[in-house]
Amino acid sequence: MVETNAKVYLRPSSVEEAWTILNERGERAKLVGGGADVVLYASSATTTLVDLDGLPLKTIERGNDGLVIGSGVTFTELLESPVVAGYLHGVVTDMLRGVGSPLLRNLATVGGTLGSAHPWSDVIPLFVSLGAMVTLHNGTTRTVALEDLIADRPLLHRCVITHVRLPIASPRAAAAFLKFGRTKVDVGLLNCACFAAGREDKVETVRITVGGAPAIAQRVPAAEAVVLGNCLDAEVIAQAAAAGAEAVDVRNDRRASGEYRRTLTAVGIRRCLERIGERWGETA
Amino acid sequence: MTITLTINGVEHSVEIDTEETLLSVLRRMGYVGVKKGCESGDCGACAVLLDGRAVNSCLVLAAKANARHVVTVEGLSEHGTLHPVQQAFLDSGAVQCGYCTPGMVISAVDLLSRNPDPTREEIAEAISGNLCRCTGYTKQIDAIAEAAKRMRSSDDD
Repeated sequence: MVETNAKVYLRPSSVEEAWTILNERGERAKLVGGGADVVLYASSATTTLVDLDGLPLKTIERGNDGLVIGSGVTFTELLESPVVAGYLHGVVTDMLRGVGSPLLRNLATVGGTLGSAHPWSDVIPLFVSLGAMVTLHNGTTRTVALEDLIADRPLLHRCVITHVRLPIASPRAAAAFLKFGRTKVDVGLLNCACFAAGREDKVETVRITVGGAPAIAQRVPAAEAVVLGNCLDAEVIAQAAAAGAEAVDVRNDRRASGEYRRTLTAVGIRRCLERIGERWGETA
Repeated sequence: MTITLTINGVEHSVEIDTEETLLSVLRRMGYVGVKKGCESGDCGACAVLLDGRAVNSCLVLAAKANARHVVTVEGLSEHGTLHPVQQAFLDSGAVQCGYCTPGMVISAVDLLSRNPDPTREEIAEAISGNLCRCTGYTKQIDAIAEAAKRMRSSDDD
């Protein structure tokens, strides 16, 4: 049984209606996507559950400006989507294979995972690296970068996320994701995601993100600065990995020590950039 | 609140607490093949099919099952004949204490409904959310592979 005081269960039929309930009831209302997070983590302050199942937020579309994913799409639906598998060498599909078990992926939704923004999330670091843009409703409909949204908790907790867009980059673009964990099903000890786009052999855009360190996804500008404007050769990759490991904000917790996480950061950045280099080679 | 859902092909209207889980509702209705294990989505003993997909019923708010179809392990046999996955578990000696078995069988049924000829790796992935504390997973994987073979063979007939 969930340890909430929820007595009211509402099923709004529009995003605006869901927002109105959230706005009127404040901290007492909790949005329900797949619902797993509500069961596991809802607080006793919650008195109203707002089920988003009735909203038309379950589509995955590839448009001119990227992959647009409805917040009600489950991880399994994402994992089984050919459109998603065809996006940037299947990097999202590969990442999702390592998230939880099929039993959990059949429940968990994209909106739920972004809204909960757990520090151990595998989805968020990769999406931040991909430059994900989130469309949300909080009285008006607006689009914000996922990276900014997870840093703005008041907004994150008081909005209805409707879609996330993963932009389509230049043909010379690739991404990679790596999760370190004790078992495949368990929450990771640390994860790393990298994205790089460019022309010829030079990197013009790069986003390197580390998650579960144990804090929520963080960009690593020190590593990005090493890569920007350069070729992805072994020396640059080694320097980026070292710079990233030195700069990353890591801490101890019951899963791993901060120092171990620092080592993992170097390995993660190196392997992800090497993988991107290989993928660039495939598209050359 | 009252929800209406179909369990093993039979429609029910049930009075539930707003915060109650599907696991809790199913067990108090007598579907005790749905096992209560960790209650945190880790062990898979409580797995049921919700609209054809295997889920941890301990993580599903019962209210979300409104107007949906649930299949528990009790609903798999037909006219007294075990489902091929259940029969293969028996024949392969894939059952020890049996506590994980209903959830394991449910995950296997979900897999085989979408992938009739899975590799051993795909079977292992499909039951990765079902923990067995008695032993390893070799016999269960054998059983699911055998069930897949029998189901393909029966489809060919």
